[in-house]
Amino acid sequence: MTTNLNNIGTSLDFFVVVAIALFVIGAFGVLTRKNMIVLLMCIELMLNSVNLLLVTFSKYHGAADPQVFVFFIVVVAAAEATVGLSILIMAYRNRKSIDIELFNKLKD
Amino acid sequence: MDALIVIFITALIGLFVGMMKKPNLTLFLSIIGLSAAFVLMSYYGKYNSLFNNFEGLAFDSFHWLFAELVIGLTLLIIVGGFHYFKKDVEHTADYYGLILFSLCGALVLIGSENFFMFFLGIEIMSIPVYVLVGIKKQNILSSEASIKYFFTGSFATAILLFGVALVYGATGTFDFSELSSLFDSNSPMAIVGILFVFAALLFKIGSVPFHFWSPDVYEGSPDPVTAFMATVVKVAGLTSIVSLFAYTFGAATDVLLPIFYVVTIGSLFLGYLSALKQTNFRRLMAYSGISNTGFAMLTLLSGNFITLWVFLLGYTAATVGLLIISQILEKSNSDEIVNWKGIGYKNPFLGVVILISFLSLAGIPPFTGFFAKLLLLINTYQSNPVLVYLTLITSVIGAFLYIRFILNAFAKDSNAEKITIHPLHILVLSVCSLVVLSGWTLILF
Repeated sequence: MTTNLNNIGTSLDFFVVVAIALFVIGAFGVLTRKNMIVLLMCIELMLNSVNLLLVTFSKYHGAADPQVFVFFIVVVAAAEATVGLSILIMAYRNRKSIDIELFNKLKD
Repeated sequence: MDALIVIFITALIGLFVGMMKKPNLTLFLSIIGLSAAFVLMSYYGKYNSLFNNFEGLAFDSFHWLFAELVIGLTLLIIVGGFHYFKKDVEHTADYYGLILFSLCGALVLIGSENFFMFFLGIEIMSIPVYVLVGIKKQNILSSEASIKYFFTGSFATAILLFGVALVYGATGTFDFSELSSLFDSNSPMAIVGILFVFAALLFKIGSVPFHFWSPDVYEGSPDPVTAFMATVVKVAGLTSIVSLFAYTFGAATDVLLPIFYVVTIGSLFLGYLSALKQTNFRRLMAYSGISNTGFAMLTLLSGNFITLWVFLLGYTAATVGLLIISQILEKSNSDEIVNWKGIGYKNPFLGVVILISFLSLAGIPPFTGFFAKLLLLINTYQSNPVLVYLTLITSVIGAFLYIRFILNAFAKDSNAEKITIHPLHILVLSVCSLVVLSGWTLILF
């Protein structure tokens, strides 16, 4: 994993570390934040960190497959955001709030 | 492939027909489409596709059996749920369209041969279900369930993708057959990658330790949707878990096996022990489903698809039957177990279905559940006797749970009402009971 990316001069490790850092920031956000729009943004951040990781590995292995995969992820993330925002609007109409901690009626 | 195309086109046409606001026509169309898909899938299993083979998607060896199972279950659910879907004439076609699109995803997931199709299958399967869970728009519990399922589900998707990226980084391929030879269990990146992939899959099927969403989501969603989640989604997820574990990542078995022991035992115990104190029927079914995923994961040791198939046949037929009954009984949005008191006594037909389904779930002969569990335990005993003893202990707890429920349903209660059952419900319940009664004979073929 110490291969340098040609014509950039930055090591591959750098990109992997940045991607993992972005992923962890996103995951931390999902677990701690309360506003549902911020939660959606954190999930998008996680998906985009995966995109960065895939593109890095694409360069490393010299194959184009992961770049195609990135397009799949982008499309699915868009679909997910659409559904997520609709669900959020429905929840807002019922509860007049998008604080996730207010949705705690279902429990044992 | 042909079945997939037929289902997709049926769903599209169904959505357009829905504009005419004729629920019967939509139901008729969906039944025709699904039956055609069922026949095409059998043809595929026997001979081959009418089309050339599609890259990354093949229903070879046993996969087509699972595909048949999910198509058949969807057929039962859309017919059994018709009475419920019809109540909202404006949106009847939406239910059918979303369920059929989700079924397409389940088929893609079952037939996937590389991570492209695998990922797309999971997403196509999940996204319509997020919508279906929250389809009772005015109901606050339904929107809460939808939110919980959506956020935890997308979180799991992100984890899955991260795992896929790491596995790709370590091996340089997305293809399952290439992965099985290239996979190196000494590479930490690859191991972390597959752990992430399996974590996401365990989440989708609602197994310990990623089960926390399932009781809440099952409770909040409409009964037919619960039936869909508890059967079709679980079947598709379990099929891909077993084929990934036993074939694709066979090289990593030593690392994964201890984790799966914990997952199996945890699912079995937690599911049944938590189910003991439930008062809500759908929560009970959710916990029963968690335990049953534990049972199904015993097949990971042997990678025996036939056993898994028979087990899932027994479990899903019983679950669909019970959830359809729950939908028949549902009055004023209450699905407490107290409502079931005396139902079997006053309504002999429902009583028989309840009896057969619960006895099969409890693993009492001569029902499908018993033979499937017997085969599972025989296969497991050769490699790990301790696991079999632990499983038997949980089976006893499970049997106690189910028999207590049967006694409740057959209690002499003069307050229990006599219910008139819709002919479609009678049809679906009869098919479910028949499958539970005689499904095990399929082992002989």
